[in-house]
Amino acid sequence: MDIFGYYIPIELLFILCVIFGVLIICSSIFGFISLMNKSDSVSELVVRTNSWWKIAIGITVVATAPAIIGTIVLAYVVFVALREMLSIIPLRTADRIVLVASYFAIPIQFYLAYKNYYYLFQIFIPLVMFVCVSIILVLTGETNRIGRSMAIIPTILILTVYMPSHMVLLFHVNVPEFTVGAGGLIVFLIIITASNDIFQFTWGKLLGKRKILPKISPNKTWAGFIGGVITSSLLGIVLSFLTPLNYIESFYVGLSLGIIGFVGDSIISAVKRDLKIKDTDDLIPGHGGAMDRLDSIVLTTPAFYYLLIFFIEN
Amino acid sequence: MKNIFVSFIYTILVRPWLTFIIGVSFHNIKPLKDANQFIIVANHNSHFDTVSIMAALPSNKRKNTCAVASGDYFGKSPFTVTLMKLFFNAILITKKTKPGHLSNLELLDQRIKEGKSLIMYPEGSRGNPGTISSFKKGIAKLLKENPSVPFIPVYLDGFGRVLPKNKILIVPLICKVRFGSPLFATTNDTKTTLEEVKKEILNLKQKNERDRNQFDFY
Repeated sequence: MDIFGYYIPIELLFILCVIFGVLIICSSIFGFISLMNKSDSVSELVVRTNSWWKIAIGITVVATAPAIIGTIVLAYVVFVALREMLSIIPLRTADRIVLVASYFAIPIQFYLAYKNYYYLFQIFIPLVMFVCVSIILVLTGETNRIGRSMAIIPTILILTVYMPSHMVLLFHVNVPEFTVGAGGLIVFLIIITASNDIFQFTWGKLLGKRKILPKISPNKTWAGFIGGVITSSLLGIVLSFLTPLNYIESFYVGLSLGIIGFVGDSIISAVKRDLKIKDTDDLIPGHGGAMDRLDSIVLTTPAFYYLLIFFIEN
Repeated sequence: MKNIFVSFIYTILVRPWLTFIIGVSFHNIKPLKDANQFIIVANHNSHFDTVSIMAALPSNKRKNTCAVASGDYFGKSPFTVTLMKLFFNAILITKKTKPGHLSNLELLDQRIKEGKSLIMYPEGSRGNPGTISSFKKGIAKLLKENPSVPFIPVYLDGFGRVLPKNKILIVPLICKVRFGSPLFATTNDTKTTLEEVKKEILNLKQKNERDRNQFDFY
């Protein structure tokens, strides 16, 4: 469908209308309740919904704008996430030069993804940056606790830059007879991951008794995990019109994203427990920092990309 | 003209650069709008401290606010002196004052009597990141001389990692500028006032850590 001379696939337009419709309903319900009853939990919900509005606008931009704008927005989000991770983890003063090098890895990685230089994209962070980080650390000459920095910085780079940068590769997925385009794939991925978080939390609150990871996060229960995964799988089937996949493939993708989203959430939770902090920052009101929101999507992005490629090619 | 240029630079360049690239966030800046004259008292770890506090101020307050800086450090070249005077309205004080000139305290007192606000770092030097060293008495004496001027405690978190002492490389990392509410010294005793000021900054530091360390597990 053409809007102001700009082509947006009808499926994408439909799903964006659904997202904003849900947000309008939530905002009006919570706004109405907060007029009656000014408790903290209600105002927290209002703050959270307002942040979801901003996130939804960001998603709309990435999904509908030309690939170059989507790439720049994603690169900036990744920069914020990396900055947050490097800020919460105590590092040595000698590591500062490596931190600058890590920031410069973001534009390079996203440029490679944007240009679809697939093999360079694949090796740049796991291989080139791994060696660069180690050699720069060696050249600084500060050997006290150098091994710790050599391990932490490449890990953070893989987690916060390499993994989410696969989202840009979705712009290059080319399937004949598939007209929705990369916007649909990105929206599919984000909706499944976000709703998986929300449903795991909701099912856990409703039915949860037995904790799945008592030492990591007391909020994660077996009921929440299984309920969330089932909901994500069903949602995968419902949203399969956004992807080139059939219902069965889409079901498997939803199932995998449900499990992997949980894994990503747990990894960041465990790091936060180790550092004894609740949120990584207070950037997004009601949600904490960028990394608190991106914790599951960093892992689901590469999983979704490779599953998609696997199903398309076979 | 000069004021318009400086506020333009702060609003168009410095503030967006600090928030979007470096990662500075400003907390509780509302009380600044109501206060007419104040002395900002902050912990000091980096050259970024003054830039961030200046960027946080509303532009009509900024032109009236002077940063107190060391003349021994910044007064070496006329270029830095001009920059300091232009962007921070800096009052450069030296350890040894020339005979016949006003002493440092008299100079600052005179500026306050003229209606200027000050930014002061009672630690004196930038010190080690994350630690607050002992405070010098000057601030307490100024508050005693000017009982109608409130002090605003400010806690700066993380700037020691962005640009530590003796380093030139700037690394974007999350930092926070946390303002307290304007307060008046309760006693005439300089020692007690100094402890009060330090306690307020430490309270802000505690508040900063409490915000991050609360476990409510969502």
